[in-house]
Amino acid sequence: MIAQILANGLLLGGLYAAIAAGFSLVWGVLNIINLLHGSFIVLGAYGAFFLHTAAGVSPFAAAPAVGALMFPLAYALQTMVINRVVDRPVLITLTLTFGLNLILNNLMLLAFKADYRKVVLDPPLGILDLGAIVLPVDRLVATACSLLLVLALWSLLRLTRIGRAIVAVRMDRDAAALMGIDVRATYALTFALAASLAAAAGCLLAPLFPISPVASATYLGKAFVICVLGGLGSVPGVVVGGFALGVMESLGALSLGPEHAGTLAFLLLLLLLLVRPSGLLGRRGFD
Amino acid sequence: MHISRRKILAASGAVGVAALIPLRASKAAGDVLRIGAPLPLTGALSPEGTKLRQGYEVWLEAVNKAGGIKAGSSTLKVELVFNDYQSNTPKAVQLAEKLVVDDKVDFLFSPFGSGAAKAASAVAEKHGVPMLASSASSAEVFDQGYKNLFGLYTDNSTLSEPLADLVAQRLPAVRRVAILARNDLYPLSLAGEFEKSAKKRGLEVVYFEKYAIGALDHSAALAQMRAAKPDWIVVTGYINDLILARKQMGDLALSASVVTMINGPAYQEWIDAVGPLAENITTASWFHPVLRYRSEDIFGSTERFVELFKARHGSEPDFTQASGAAVGVILQQAVERAGSADRAAVRAELAKGGFKTFFGPISFGPSGMANSYVPPAYQIQDGKVRVLLPDEVRTSDFRAGVK
Repeated sequence: MIAQILANGLLLGGLYAAIAAGFSLVWGVLNIINLLHGSFIVLGAYGAFFLHTAAGVSPFAAAPAVGALMFPLAYALQTMVINRVVDRPVLITLTLTFGLNLILNNLMLLAFKADYRKVVLDPPLGILDLGAIVLPVDRLVATACSLLLVLALWSLLRLTRIGRAIVAVRMDRDAAALMGIDVRATYALTFALAASLAAAAGCLLAPLFPISPVASATYLGKAFVICVLGGLGSVPGVVVGGFALGVMESLGALSLGPEHAGTLAFLLLLLLLLVRPSGLLGRRGFD
Repeated sequence: MHISRRKILAASGAVGVAALIPLRASKAAGDVLRIGAPLPLTGALSPEGTKLRQGYEVWLEAVNKAGGIKAGSSTLKVELVFNDYQSNTPKAVQLAEKLVVDDKVDFLFSPFGSGAAKAASAVAEKHGVPMLASSASSAEVFDQGYKNLFGLYTDNSTLSEPLADLVAQRLPAVRRVAILARNDLYPLSLAGEFEKSAKKRGLEVVYFEKYAIGALDHSAALAQMRAAKPDWIVVTGYINDLILARKQMGDLALSASVVTMINGPAYQEWIDAVGPLAENITTASWFHPVLRYRSEDIFGSTERFVELFKARHGSEPDFTQASGAAVGVILQQAVERAGSADRAAVRAELAKGGFKTFFGPISFGPSGMANSYVPPAYQIQDGKVRVLLPDEVRTSDFRAGVK
């Protein structure tokens, strides 16, 4: 049973990495705690749901398209609204994204209602029975796609000029500006990239979890914990944080009972904050 | 733009006052029966508050269209005085008081849920105003010896007992029961009732665990449950929990002779979200639009009520929406039998019971809680909700085996 529970935890952890990647990027680069993040994930999940219902598109195939659709919307939002207060204290940006999230969440409630939906894959992808452990194929595919998304982000930040610009802005905004980087445009690009990642993650979650506007707070909460656990603004940190949370929740449920699934994870988080406040892989000012 | 503090204060004052003004203007009493209904129209419970209100409105419209309630020689038009208590229980109590004292309502419909109904019942008792509780299923609400509180729902044990009977009679080989409950007032109390019902029949409860509110993963709990090799699995929670739990049971190839989930599977939304995994899941609920009761109320039958509800609101009523209309028809019948809107006479008629409604046959026990009907048990068969129990409304036979 331990093997099964570890496998469940790892599968969940991979999904957590995708949930948190965009959140970590925005927090790390823009120093904004983006409370819209959970709603972006849910919006992406709705995108996958409607594409699947209307045209039979697999949510895994829909992820890049829905992510791309989100890009211009988020770019415009950052340019027109958030960039105006991006330099202000964190409480101002927090309040702004809180308000924007209320608007987006209520718009989703109006448009989609609070009814729970889920993508039902037909035919179902089935399970992989390995004897001691059983693995659901849809979750396996979602986790693999999720890790691919995070890998794509990491490659973008490492290997492209745009990515280097984002990292440069994160390391030292003033120096980056002196080097000719358009900081405001970089902010907008980062925010849009993060929102696209969130929407794509939402697509991957659509066949696994119930979709509803009210689910956004849960995703936001997980993203927050994973970022603190893995280290702020670090892409590998998101993966490590995601896996750590997934496995600890599963082991917590096994050892302390399902009602305390999160207890063990939070205890370790507290301990980590005491001994290594920058997170498992977090390093100040470096991606 | 500069907005002065005074303007802000004035605006917030206006909003505060507006919240206290009944949503319908009051009329002078006389040939009008006034019912006060504190509702959570905003805040966390606003979906439920809105649903209750939709139920009230369908009844109200039907009654007033028919001329009103016949009470002796006069016919009383009905007026509902709504107040929004913003999902805040203390405010519900204040507004119940205000409805009685200032708005001079004749009767009260309770706020939503067990807790708020219990809190407001003290006000009803103090003023001697009969209050009908539309959505309280915990026996603790009715343990204060109040004479003015009447609850539409039967006790939570009436959901578990018939299903346990069914399992024991039809599947004698079922011995091992596993229960997973949302760690929340109603789902946990319900899970406790299933545990009692199982033990009473000599079944062994091999697994009983709780999961946290907002849990995003049940796989560890379900893996442990699978290791316990249960024949009957019971999961309690709300619709989102049960969508996820059913999906993850499928992910782990967890099967059993019987799988019961409450509350969720009776909703089309749940069936759509889990797809083929819905097959053969059993559940129970106080009301479902597939019921076929013939009634002596304004609607005449469950079918007719569902029809009218659909015409007005565009969707089939769920049990909360139906509950709103049900308390209306019960009060109406009590007033008609009493021949007046006199509170003591109506209270006596309510206590006598014997109301044949579209919701089911309603009488109240000594505590004021309904005890006259068995909430129907259902099973999802071929993607549709079928009624298994009670016999008089049965539409299908029970099928064993959930894969």
